[in-house]
Amino acid sequence: MKVLTPEGEEKNLMVLNIGPSHGATHGCLRYITALDGENIAASVGEIGYLHRGFEKMAERGTWQQVLPLTDRLDYCSAMMNNFAYCRAVEKMLGIEIPERAKVIRVIVNELSRIADHFICDAAAAQDLGSTTGFFYLFDSREQTMRIWEKLTGARLTNSYGRIGGLYRDTYEGFEEDVLAVCKTVEKNLHDVHACFDRNRIFLDRTVNVGCMTPEKAISYGWTGPCLRATGVASDVRKDEPYWDYETYDWNVVTGTRGDVFDRLMVRLAEAEESLKIIRQALKRLAPGPVSVEDPRVRVPSHERVYQDMEALAGRFKSVFEGIRVPAGEYYCGTETANGELGFTLVSDGSGHPWRVKVRPPCFTQFAAFHELVEGGMIADSIACLSSINIIAGELDR
Amino acid sequence: MATSGDNVKEPIVATPEAAKAFEEAALKALEKFGAVRSEKNPWGLTVVVDRCNLHATVLAMRDELGLDMLMDIVGIDYLGFKDYVGPRFAVEYVFKSVYEPAKRMMVKVLVEEADLKVPTISDLYGIANWQEREVYDQYGVIFEGHPDLRRILNHVEFVGHPLRKDYPAHRRQWLSTNDYLYPALEKRLESKGYRILERPEEINPSEEEYLQGSIKK
Amino acid sequence: MAVEAQEANFFTTKLDFIVNWGRKNSLWPFPYGTACCAIEFMSTETSPYDLSRIGSEYVRFTPRQSDVLAVQGTITYKQAPILKRIYEQLAEPKWVIAMGACATSGGVYDCYCTVPGIDNIIPVDVYIGGCPSRPEAFFDAMFEIQKKVSDESYMAQRKERLKEQWELLQAKTAQAKQELSEYSRAKAQELKEKAECLKNTAIRKAEFWKENP
Repeated sequence: MKVLTPEGEEKNLMVLNIGPSHGATHGCLRYITALDGENIAASVGEIGYLHRGFEKMAERGTWQQVLPLTDRLDYCSAMMNNFAYCRAVEKMLGIEIPERAKVIRVIVNELSRIADHFICDAAAAQDLGSTTGFFYLFDSREQTMRIWEKLTGARLTNSYGRIGGLYRDTYEGFEEDVLAVCKTVEKNLHDVHACFDRNRIFLDRTVNVGCMTPEKAISYGWTGPCLRATGVASDVRKDEPYWDYETYDWNVVTGTRGDVFDRLMVRLAEAEESLKIIRQALKRLAPGPVSVEDPRVRVPSHERVYQDMEALAGRFKSVFEGIRVPAGEYYCGTETANGELGFTLVSDGSGHPWRVKVRPPCFTQFAAFHELVEGGMIADSIACLSSINIIAGELDR
Repeated sequence: MATSGDNVKEPIVATPEAAKAFEEAALKALEKFGAVRSEKNPWGLTVVVDRCNLHATVLAMRDELGLDMLMDIVGIDYLGFKDYVGPRFAVEYVFKSVYEPAKRMMVKVLVEEADLKVPTISDLYGIANWQEREVYDQYGVIFEGHPDLRRILNHVEFVGHPLRKDYPAHRRQWLSTNDYLYPALEKRLESKGYRILERPEEINPSEEEYLQGSIKK
Repeated sequence: MAVEAQEANFFTTKLDFIVNWGRKNSLWPFPYGTACCAIEFMSTETSPYDLSRIGSEYVRFTPRQSDVLAVQGTITYKQAPILKRIYEQLAEPKWVIAMGACATSGGVYDCYCTVPGIDNIIPVDVYIGGCPSRPEAFFDAMFEIQKKVSDESYMAQRKERLKEQWELLQAKTAQAKQELSEYSRAKAQELKEKAECLKNTAIRKAEFWKENP
């Protein structure tokens, strides 16, 4: 393509298409670039290759039937999405979940956060040519998966959250397993820091690449680790605490430059903070119920259903008609691994949601992708893409 | 380098009192635009404004109230909503403040089906560009003044707007060929000050050869 | 030892067996990963499961270098043309795995934008269940592909291919012959006309000189 540059030069630009099926696009997304030599003059992103109709499907079922679908939004940390959705519905119902459920949610949430951050960093390491980092980081993730299997029965898409609590209590030996994983995570973190921190190749590929200013990041609605990497200490867990996050002792991690290196390292540092929270939460794990005994949300157990007429009717009603959420419109944002995952819920007072709108954190990050890569080299765009952690399921819903 | 401990400032925590104070202040500040508190949201603050005041309201919210982040734009279709009287469509804007966590609010604009037009706010927030494209794609709401209003989640050959209540969930539509991003790239280049002198001729989506091997049912 | 090796430096086998043995132990997958199943495929690659045990650790991201197309995740209508094109780009011999419920049948997603199973677009050899499939299930699918590979006959395929080529060649020869005969006929006609023309000129010249000596 022959163009006249703003400086008045006549130049031949090459148009290069990347994706939707490319080794470094982590799922299906696509961007097309106009290259001036090796530098990117302009870039345009295109999404929607994994648009699976979450919002249309959510309108068809009851409020509880949305839960398995939320698993498949950010599939690297499925349970965080469950809890975020449950929290939004619980707020509308005005339900306070029991103490034990809160603590388990915090533990599971933070372990999921570690797993998600590790996947992002592992994929970034792989894209930058460091297979060693990939294997170190996946090691502790596999151990986490084993806990999930024992706890929920599934590896990836767990559906562990329930409106008003949890699917079931933890198994015997849960605490020891979590502590063992914490140890592995610490070891892996140490190894990965040894791998990356002073590695000349890694630093050359990441430092001062794909910089983002805080003003632009806020204008583009960035949240989570990517916003914190630009130096803005914004975290929903600290700002609007839920599940007693304010009582744990931990810090918000921020970066300074907002480049690829900061985004990757903020994730690793956040994993450390999550370890702190998990260790404190394990000490608070006291016996108690894991779901509220509110007849509006509680599905009666099978033992009661077989003996009690009222429980039978209650179960029948809650399964067929669904939970009756009071009519209204409400937005509730929860901090997940990628940033603030928001649910805008519209209820007409029946058992079916009228509208469920997801506010995916990836969407905002990919919308600003051209700001990151324009002016840089084409090889750096791959580093930029892996550092903002795009999960296609969440991006396109 | 970013590690825990250094460069950490303790953020301000949102309290119910601060949120309440903000709600009152916001209602007072937005009174001049005819903003009315919506009864539908007892859990937070939602104001309804007329669409001709939308741009001015959002500008005031950003500059005077300090709501510096646009979280989401939500389209809602009220066709068949229980006991509902009013325009069929609504567009909701969700805002929050990054530095002052107690500040969160929503703005709602009601639009009739016959005149589905809302002024754009993509000049105020960077993210509004894509979010408005999404609402256009799903509901067919036209954002006046939007620089590049085209489909984002569905493919180019899609007919209709899938999240409307009268679109059947199972109406599937095949795509015959891949999407074509050339015009968008040219637009982006032109917005950066480049001028296109010559277009490459190799790729022309209307050519028979390009469509070979595509799916058409 | 060395003498023995020199003396017995060959073994006899069937060509089919040796070709299939080579093929089935180096099946290089092309992961068309779109959603959750792709993450499980990444787990399959790591040391607890270790896909390199069956010689498939080389994940190629170009269809030109791979044998197995593993479709991992939901295929939407926006993606369908791309998947079809990638399938067409794969070199023969090729096999396809539909990994997970979404690729097999659409899974939980039954909506306006999802293809209900990739067999609407491309042929599939092995289907795996699960949402997402476990790494063990992916191994099972690879074993199924291996079985399928070892059942194939290279010689039979070669025969077919040769037959096709022979037919093509014959058709082409016939066409060339016809073209040649047409061409020669046209050429002969042309020469005839030329000769006629020359003859006429000569006659006219002779007549001219006769009249104007």
